[in-house]
Amino acid sequence: MSDPISVHGAPRGRYFEQFGITREVLDDILGAALSGGATDCDLYFEHSVVTSVSLSDGAVNKASTHVDLGVGVRARFGDQVGYAYTEDLSTGSMRSAARTAAAIAAAGGARGTVDLALLDLPSYYPVRKRWEAVGMDVRVPMVRGWEEKAFAQDARIKKVQTHLVDAEKVVLIVRPDGRLAEDYQPMCRAMVVCSAEGADGRLESNSYNLAARAGLEFFDDQERQERMVRKAVERTTFLLDAGKPPAGEMPVVLAAGASGILLHEAIGHGLEADFNRKGISIYASRMNEKVAPDFVTVVDDGTVEGSRGAINVDDEGNLAERTVLIEDGVLRGYMHDEISAAHYKVDPTGSGRRESFRHHPLPRMRATYMEPGPHAPDDIIKDTKRGIYCTSFSNGAVQIGAGDFTFYMKTGWLIEDGKLTRPIKDVNIIGNGPAALEQVDRVGNDLVLDEGGWTCGKDGQGVPVSQGQPTVRVASLTVGGEG
Amino acid sequence: MSPIDTARSAVETARRLGADEVKATVRAGSEVELERRSGKLERVHEASTLGLSVALLVDGRFSTHSTSDLRADAIEPFLRRAVDGTRYLEQDTDRAMAAREQMGSLDVEGLDAADEAAFDDRDANVREQGVARLEEAVLAGAGDDLVSATAFLWDMRSRAAVAFSNGFEGRSARTHFGFGGMVTLKEPSGKLPEAYSFINAAHLGDLPSMGSVAEDLWTRAGEVRNTSACPSLVCPMLLDARVAPRILGALLAPLSGASLHHGRSCMHDKLGEKLGSDAFTVLDDPTIPRGLGSKPFDGDGFEARVRPIFTEGVLNTWYVNLYHSRKLGVQPTTGRAGNVVIQPGDRSWREIAEGHDKCIRVTSFLGGNSNPASGDFSFGIRGQLYERGEWVQNLSEMNVTGNLLDLITRFVEPADDVWKFSSYRVPTLVFDGVQFSGT
Repeated sequence: MSDPISVHGAPRGRYFEQFGITREVLDDILGAALSGGATDCDLYFEHSVVTSVSLSDGAVNKASTHVDLGVGVRARFGDQVGYAYTEDLSTGSMRSAARTAAAIAAAGGARGTVDLALLDLPSYYPVRKRWEAVGMDVRVPMVRGWEEKAFAQDARIKKVQTHLVDAEKVVLIVRPDGRLAEDYQPMCRAMVVCSAEGADGRLESNSYNLAARAGLEFFDDQERQERMVRKAVERTTFLLDAGKPPAGEMPVVLAAGASGILLHEAIGHGLEADFNRKGISIYASRMNEKVAPDFVTVVDDGTVEGSRGAINVDDEGNLAERTVLIEDGVLRGYMHDEISAAHYKVDPTGSGRRESFRHHPLPRMRATYMEPGPHAPDDIIKDTKRGIYCTSFSNGAVQIGAGDFTFYMKTGWLIEDGKLTRPIKDVNIIGNGPAALEQVDRVGNDLVLDEGGWTCGKDGQGVPVSQGQPTVRVASLTVGGEG
Repeated sequence: MSPIDTARSAVETARRLGADEVKATVRAGSEVELERRSGKLERVHEASTLGLSVALLVDGRFSTHSTSDLRADAIEPFLRRAVDGTRYLEQDTDRAMAAREQMGSLDVEGLDAADEAAFDDRDANVREQGVARLEEAVLAGAGDDLVSATAFLWDMRSRAAVAFSNGFEGRSARTHFGFGGMVTLKEPSGKLPEAYSFINAAHLGDLPSMGSVAEDLWTRAGEVRNTSACPSLVCPMLLDARVAPRILGALLAPLSGASLHHGRSCMHDKLGEKLGSDAFTVLDDPTIPRGLGSKPFDGDGFEARVRPIFTEGVLNTWYVNLYHSRKLGVQPTTGRAGNVVIQPGDRSWREIAEGHDKCIRVTSFLGGNSNPASGDFSFGIRGQLYERGEWVQNLSEMNVTGNLLDLITRFVEPADDVWKFSSYRVPTLVFDGVQFSGT
């Protein structure tokens, strides 16, 4: 169960009563949202506190906090959506927002009182040490310790910045069918950014970060913190000796972990059901078709405990689940919100997510990964005559309809005759999603869910996600490079 | 309470609670967005927003805080936590607010960035009729290959008031009016390419007709049909005016004070040097009336003013706010760009294309990134291949790769087509000898 006793000391399901949000008020606002004749509606209350602490120039010299409080009201009339939000939780302001949203429907109508019942939620992010109880006196030595370790590791490191960001969010989702879901959603992210100077005066900068839905206990693991610092330093100094690969089409081997960005961009977005409902995804007419080799199974999963993409309940009030997208190479499922689920006459998959109360929910990814395959990672490289091996990534993008996708390789290696021969960096890699899926010709047995803080953007909204993959080879992608 | 009164009150309260210097900003906004598809409104989004942010100096320690919880009894506890939390940080002697006499503001009315009357006049019916007319205009150009057409319309208004503890106060106001369309097309290959055209202006009357935007949308749709990659090549790049900000933005990143100070700038030792070609002249002008990047003052309270960034290839300035100027030991300029301006040339991009055996016109980017420390960049692109001005093919699944410091030496000329509906008021930019990777 999610926090069965209380959220911040309030009785379970009653957190927002401190802001005057009683059951009677909820009923009032639901009535206003449905007053235009909407077929359905939801209220999404949010209270969040984000705290960050940063070190630079050897001093923990910057902190910030951000407090957000508000409610978003969505009224639905079939697949039409009216949405309004307010930061003012007075009944009058909320009622006004609800009536604005309600105007999407013009049928008029009335409804009776709703008996709200608190949903029992699973607990995919149990927290032992809540951030609200963590003082600056705890945060400050943490970011300082990371800096000291980074400088100690390599003399070429000239500048270090470290950051710790933690967030606690409480949401309340209210539905006219009586569903009431209250969820406490923690998040933390730590980052080390290094700048290095080579013997030739060359400057490079890179970083490494960790993220999780967790409290302070996430950092009890000292090895985890040391790994973060070590990787930040290694990834920065690696760049000092790296160059560009040759340009053009070639086999691309993706190291296990963050290479899940391939799935996210090439496949994941195209399987979000809103795009398919509108017929504008390249996967729109391919359900139950063979889209990849037998050894490819892709999953989007909101239940991976403590992961950045984990959710107990989605932002429409549906429980998170593990959704199989591609099974043994066959397209089996989309990620649904309630609108797309109604269109396809299936159950929602708990994928309706939003950035905040300022946004309406959409089908979104959670933790997207490829199941382990049959191949040994070392053999995948040995079997590659000429290509590249990508070890870290910064960002990606996709065109949903055309299927073209890209990801940016920050660090990697040139592969020649089955061996890693030369460090490479800073190139964009581009391909077409369905073609790339068909050309996955090796999947390693070494699945890793990346521990970094990925944020997925869609329609101007960013939501936290996770991604992972075993070592994978795509027979041909176009590599930005020279020559 | 008015925004400026709320800001003043926050300054006074924070000072009373122990802050030595305070900057408080209150932002109020209203926004309406409509989407229409298949003959009906698909989404209507409407909101009015209000938020407070403060920057504090407490015993030489610095922090920033923001909140949307502006209940009367919530602000003082918020500020108390902010002030108390700041005391746990370490001192940073370079943190300071500018002296009152250094601060100033352009005349807000002179910038003419807000069309308040038009915003107030537009009601829900007018907007709904507008987006319906736009959808009709888009559909009028559709052929049998249309899968989906969506029309968008939005109106936004924002007002900000800022108060510093040294007595400086400023305000700004801005409106945005815009509309556009997006279409998805079906190809025999099964691909569903998308094209879009959006337009945005500070004043309603500055927007072009909906018909012209629909026409532009279908021109762009023609550029994304039946795309493929060509073999890797090095050739001139004609960088469309609307997508040039992607490269120019990457070029400005290493000029920021933060990049310079933290060792992440490929231009850290290059101020005053000739880096670009003679033709490469770039100006920052935040004073343009109705400009989308115009502003009366910057984050430090310095009055906005015109700054040449590159003049005939010579780097003239960095973007250094007060804090980073003290870190770097240089005079402050401003923290970020206003309107980035490149004057137009005499020839159209078509005339320029006729002068090259082969060239690629880049009309959109897909992903990619740049490295401000080294200047390396690599972006996915779409565009068209031309030979002696003749269209050869539409391109996709290609990358453009290089180094920013090298790229600006290859700048040949600007075309004559400045795109003014952006804070980057630049024309198509022509670079020679650019590396494209394809098949």
